[in-house]
Amino acid sequence: MEVLERLLNISLVVATIRTTAPILLVALGGSFTTKAGIFNIGLEGQMLVGAFFAVIGTIATGSPWLGVLCGVAAALTLALIFALLVVSFKANEVVVGLALNILAGGLTVSLMKAIFGTRGSIFGHGLVGLPALRLPNVKDFGWFGQIISGYTPLVYAAFLLVPVLILFYNRTRLGLYIRVVGEKPEAAEALGISITRIRYVSSLLCGLLAGLAGAHLALGYTTMFTENMSSGRGFMAVAILIFSNGDPLKILLGCLLFGFSDALSLRLQTLGISSYLVLAVPYLVALIALFALSYRSRPRVIQETLASMGRALSVKSNTIQPAAATDASKP
Amino acid sequence: MPLAIELKSITKRFGAFVANEDVNLAVESGKIHAIIGENGAGKTTLMNVLFGLLQPDEGEIWIDGEKKNLPNPAAAIAAGIGMVHQHFKLVPSLTVAENVFLGMEIRKGGLIDHAAQIRRTAELSRQFGLQVDPTERVGLLSVGIEQRIEILKVLARGARIIILDEPTAVLTPQESRELFQTLRGFVAQGMTVIFISHHLEEVMEVSDNVSVLRLGKNVATRPTAELTKSDLVQLMVGRLVSFDRLPRVASVGKTVLEVEDLWARDDRRLPALRGVSFGVRAGEIVGIAGVAGNGQTELAEVLSGLRPSSHGSIQLNGRTITGASAREIRAAGVGHVPGDRLVRGVDRNASISMNLLMGRQDQSPWSKHGIINRAYLLEQTQALIKRFDIRARGPESTAKSLSGGNIQKIVLAREFTGDADCLLIDQPTRGVDIGAQESIHGEIMRQRDAGKAILLISVQLDELIRLADRILVMFGGTIMGEIPGDRVDEEEIGMLMAGVVPEAHSNTVGAA
Repeated sequence: MEVLERLLNISLVVATIRTTAPILLVALGGSFTTKAGIFNIGLEGQMLVGAFFAVIGTIATGSPWLGVLCGVAAALTLALIFALLVVSFKANEVVVGLALNILAGGLTVSLMKAIFGTRGSIFGHGLVGLPALRLPNVKDFGWFGQIISGYTPLVYAAFLLVPVLILFYNRTRLGLYIRVVGEKPEAAEALGISITRIRYVSSLLCGLLAGLAGAHLALGYTTMFTENMSSGRGFMAVAILIFSNGDPLKILLGCLLFGFSDALSLRLQTLGISSYLVLAVPYLVALIALFALSYRSRPRVIQETLASMGRALSVKSNTIQPAAATDASKP
Repeated sequence: MPLAIELKSITKRFGAFVANEDVNLAVESGKIHAIIGENGAGKTTLMNVLFGLLQPDEGEIWIDGEKKNLPNPAAAIAAGIGMVHQHFKLVPSLTVAENVFLGMEIRKGGLIDHAAQIRRTAELSRQFGLQVDPTERVGLLSVGIEQRIEILKVLARGARIIILDEPTAVLTPQESRELFQTLRGFVAQGMTVIFISHHLEEVMEVSDNVSVLRLGKNVATRPTAELTKSDLVQLMVGRLVSFDRLPRVASVGKTVLEVEDLWARDDRRLPALRGVSFGVRAGEIVGIAGVAGNGQTELAEVLSGLRPSSHGSIQLNGRTITGASAREIRAAGVGHVPGDRLVRGVDRNASISMNLLMGRQDQSPWSKHGIINRAYLLEQTQALIKRFDIRARGPESTAKSLSGGNIQKIVLAREFTGDADCLLIDQPTRGVDIGAQESIHGEIMRQRDAGKAILLISVQLDELIRLADRILVMFGGTIMGEIPGDRVDEEEIGMLMAGVVPEAHSNTVGAA
């Protein structure tokens, strides 16, 4: 009981929100490409260059906000290359995505070496993170105030984007066209909607959010850059996207699950469990949950089958007879 | 009578091929105008020119008495022309209203105004008698309703002249009749309808005027009332063709193919066949009628060993062949003319001779000691090309260089010259022009007279009436009833095709 109390408390909720934000941002970015019918496995790389250039930009200008801008610009460049190869030159999405991920990994390491002469991490050098926002009058809300206040701005942005995206897909023309292009490109074409343009726009919107996710990782979540610091979040986002079909609400749920187990695993470390094992927990939990989710959709097919079998059985006895009767009547 | 459309000397070439040559077409305002012709006669090209999808090389387009230049579909739409394509372009996850207004959304403050779109769709639906529920998701609706939505899309864009490309190809007879009523309603409101069709009965039934295209030229435009069906065929084909039931003598032998309580699933693992039982005897043609997608394809696949059955038995000459592979079934004496000839009938990149060899490449005299007997193959190929009237440059032409009808003749030539006792023939004349249809039908009759047991699956009722000794109607994976081929009541077949069992048979079914 005591162990549980040490694990589950308000600070765990706060930690969950903190750990959810980066993967939520990148997954929401991926929602644009998923909805537009592009399988974008390059989220990881876009996030990584976003983080790296956010750090570089901040060190160079002294302003973390300009750093965020640099990070986003870098991720957008990668997204543009992705769109160019996949949409215009019709290259295989998975191959291009993987290649750009490898490029991002190698690029950040070599640039780090070239600029700072080190490997591993960048911190110091006048690097400042994004300021945490203290909401006014939160004290009046008690524990709820504790939960909603004190994050860096991109955390708020990530969670606010969920309703914004729901509105975007349901009520704006661009959102509708993105869905149509993904679901039925022939319909889009017949109505004079440019599939190429919509897919470019989706890729770039994706790059924008992936860049923000990276910048948040380097300037909000921590204040440093580490080699491969996206550590599979982009891939986790891809998994969540596959199971959520790009729906913002389902993405939120998937990301919260991942964030929660991430936060929980940090707690478990304090209990003296092997850190290697513990670090695997969020990925395991997310994978098991996603598997369970897809497994639950299977009985639906079985149910439908049973239902239609049932209908057929009740009909069969009546309908076969006329044919069978005429068959039998002829020698 | 004022003219809604006047095409003057339209010529459209694709390279050396002339799709439309000096075509003149006058469509009277407020009339239903049918355009008929064989495949490749240039109907679709002409309509694409009229809808701005193609630019004519020569000629003028006049709409409502004004000369128009139509560089793209948007210009055609602005001129009041709407086109309902043969293949629907609807988005399944969107509602009816969203589909109708896709591309011209009603917006308020930058956001899509769903309520207004639903209201407007309901208004259009009422005004033109096209019943739909604007809030329903399109993915859940039937083909007939999808077509209504496509028509509503065109109406919402303000079309006064509506072109329909083979609108009845996907409909049941009842749905077709409803469509015709709708079209009648349109012309009563002063609109003009142009519809492209293969089905002569429909043309006779619904059109005021008819234009016949042959080999890219406009052969005739006449009031429909002045023409008979056989006049139309003669104009289309350029010679006399009979469409009556082919003469035959009853010569029924023993049962060759016996299917009992057969069940199978489709690709989505849902039941596609639900307890199908029937028999086919030597020297008879059993037709399978039904709207496409009611289990006919799966039936042919199961019988030919391409799809596993989940229950039931299939017997050939008293031997059980349930669960046998396609090769074993062929060896047991079943020939199969598949519904999609380009996927399963031929290898499009292989020569005619190779396509004729397929399946018997390991049999003497086609090959000896594992080596193909080229001399024999060439001799046989030439003989079959002659016998089946395959129009090709030579035995080594690739299948894909041939027209649909000639590709189909390759498949028939191969399947009909094996030693099969039973022939599964799926859609033998789909996309085949009338001339070739006639010779294919003749060949099928010869196989019947030679004592083969033939199962003929077709979505074309007139084909079944012409050939079949008895017709089984499929709906929802079951056989709804049987009708003798010489006493066909189209009304009854139509009801069965729609899943309704006429009173005489049963009074409880229909909800399936």
